[in-house]
Amino acid sequence: MKSTDPIVLIVDDDAMVREGIQSLVRSIGLRVQTFASAAEFLSANIPDVPKCLVLDVRMPGQSGLDLHRQLMQANTEIPTVFISGHGDIPMTVRAMKQGAMEFLTKPVRGQDLLDAVQNAIERDRTLRKERAEIASLHKRFESLTARETEVLNLVVAGLLNKQIADQLGTSELTVKTHRAHVMEKTQADSLANLVRMFEKLKNYLHK
Amino acid sequence: MTAPLRYSLAILFVLVALLASLGLQEPFSNPSWFLFPTGVLAATWICGNGPGWVAVCLSTFAVQYFFVPPFRTWILQPRDIPFFISFVACEVVANRIVAWRVRTENALREARDALEVRVAERTADMENANKALREQMAEQRRTEETLQATRTELARVVRITAIGEMAASIAHEVNQPLAAVVANADACVAWLTRQTPDLGEAKSAALRAVEGATRASQVIARIRSLISKGAPQREPVDINSLIEEALVLAKGQVVLNKISLSLLLDPALPLVSGDRIQLQQVLMNLIANAIDAMANVTGRERTLEIRSQRVQAQSISVSVQDSGIGISEEFISRLFEPFFTTRAQGIGMGLAISHSIIEAHGGRLWAESKLNEGTIFRFTLPEKQASIDEKH
Repeated sequence: MKSTDPIVLIVDDDAMVREGIQSLVRSIGLRVQTFASAAEFLSANIPDVPKCLVLDVRMPGQSGLDLHRQLMQANTEIPTVFISGHGDIPMTVRAMKQGAMEFLTKPVRGQDLLDAVQNAIERDRTLRKERAEIASLHKRFESLTARETEVLNLVVAGLLNKQIADQLGTSELTVKTHRAHVMEKTQADSLANLVRMFEKLKNYLHK
Repeated sequence: MTAPLRYSLAILFVLVALLASLGLQEPFSNPSWFLFPTGVLAATWICGNGPGWVAVCLSTFAVQYFFVPPFRTWILQPRDIPFFISFVACEVVANRIVAWRVRTENALREARDALEVRVAERTADMENANKALREQMAEQRRTEETLQATRTELARVVRITAIGEMAASIAHEVNQPLAAVVANADACVAWLTRQTPDLGEAKSAALRAVEGATRASQVIARIRSLISKGAPQREPVDINSLIEEALVLAKGQVVLNKISLSLLLDPALPLVSGDRIQLQQVLMNLIANAIDAMANVTGRERTLEIRSQRVQAQSISVSVQDSGIGISEEFISRLFEPFFTTRAQGIGMGLAISHSIIEAHGGRLWAESKLNEGTIFRFTLPEKQASIDEKH
């Protein structure tokens, strides 16, 4: 197995259930790491690869829901499959509202669990890609100088070079130069592309 | 009687006295004036004060005119003056005495009447008060009946809830190993049906499934033994394993209530001789009580400490300590009485039964408590005798 292969993280206080799920997941060729408690999970070293979390709701100490909420708040969300002894509706609703991928009731059918795990990993791949893209965008836009950023804001607002020059009290030629730098630094091959990237970053930061 | 009638009657009395006296004057030559005071008396008595005085005046004139010589003249000779004055005085005295009598009688009658009115009023008052009291009592009885009915209903609901909770707890205990069985069996199948089956993995998954199923059946056996009523037995019992088994059943509640559990079991604890099921019942009861006592505790840690140790010679002691609400001194002495309970839903039998079980085993069960700090239940049991050891 390569170190970039996805990994399934299993947190369950019951050793036998943990072993069973681990074995099941391994049988379809996925990497697995198991934890007996939320605390053990939080103190562990998690590899930076696509992953999903299989989380028992009812555990001593911090419950599965508590752990999930903590990860969400720290902005380190991992797509999660909850497993609960009794899937009562309020708890399910709470978990779903918190962004759980799936809520399964013990005893879990093997195929259901594997499907949920696969979906969650796919979701994490997408999430990771998006996060990486955002990070790269962020880095590119960060590299702009203050003047370039001013020009950028006016460009994406739809102003012509002449209008921008008027507004900034400078020559059209200077604006053109700044604009070329912006396009170069952000690696935008067209104005449309620049606007799209700008909007995407803005939406993300706004969120 | 109206005033004119009374005055007329007074005049009539004087007239009767006059006519009678005139009639008596013929056979007896002496002046017969003595009937007049009687007339005055009657007039005053029957007609009242005013008519009495009229009678006095009329009689005086009549006597002076008809019966003081010279008769039928208004002349009053000096020798007759003393007689005449004494006659008038006699009349006035008669009048006054009667008037006084009448006044006294009237006053008495009035007083009596007033008294009767007051008695009647008081009687009515008391009857009203009595009626109000009866109504109040009826109302109170109705309230009590309603209260009793509500209480009965509440107890029923609580009992059902308690049974439901217990069922949920059992369901969880059984479901957990079943989940392990299903996960491992699924894994086993997956390992076998892979393109390249892995028999080693399949085997260990199958073994875990068997282990899970065994665990499930153990839980069920334990529950069955808890509710069965076998005859008390005497067998060697390992109290430590009994404590651990009881905790398996209580684990769900411990986790749910966020209680931190500390288990201080003496590994060199000698065996005791007794009835496993009964002793387990005692432990379950003490643990359940401890969990209950901490259900409403906030602001401090909920800890359950179970300790077993050897004490003195040939005796072991087990303590179950909680950090719950505690038991007040007035209650602690009554703790082991049947039907004594501080809980709304309790029937007050758990500790009473536990107490009798421990005593039947030759031990002692008691409690120490501090309000708002927690309670320790502790029991002792005699060590299994060497002679019994040899038989086994």
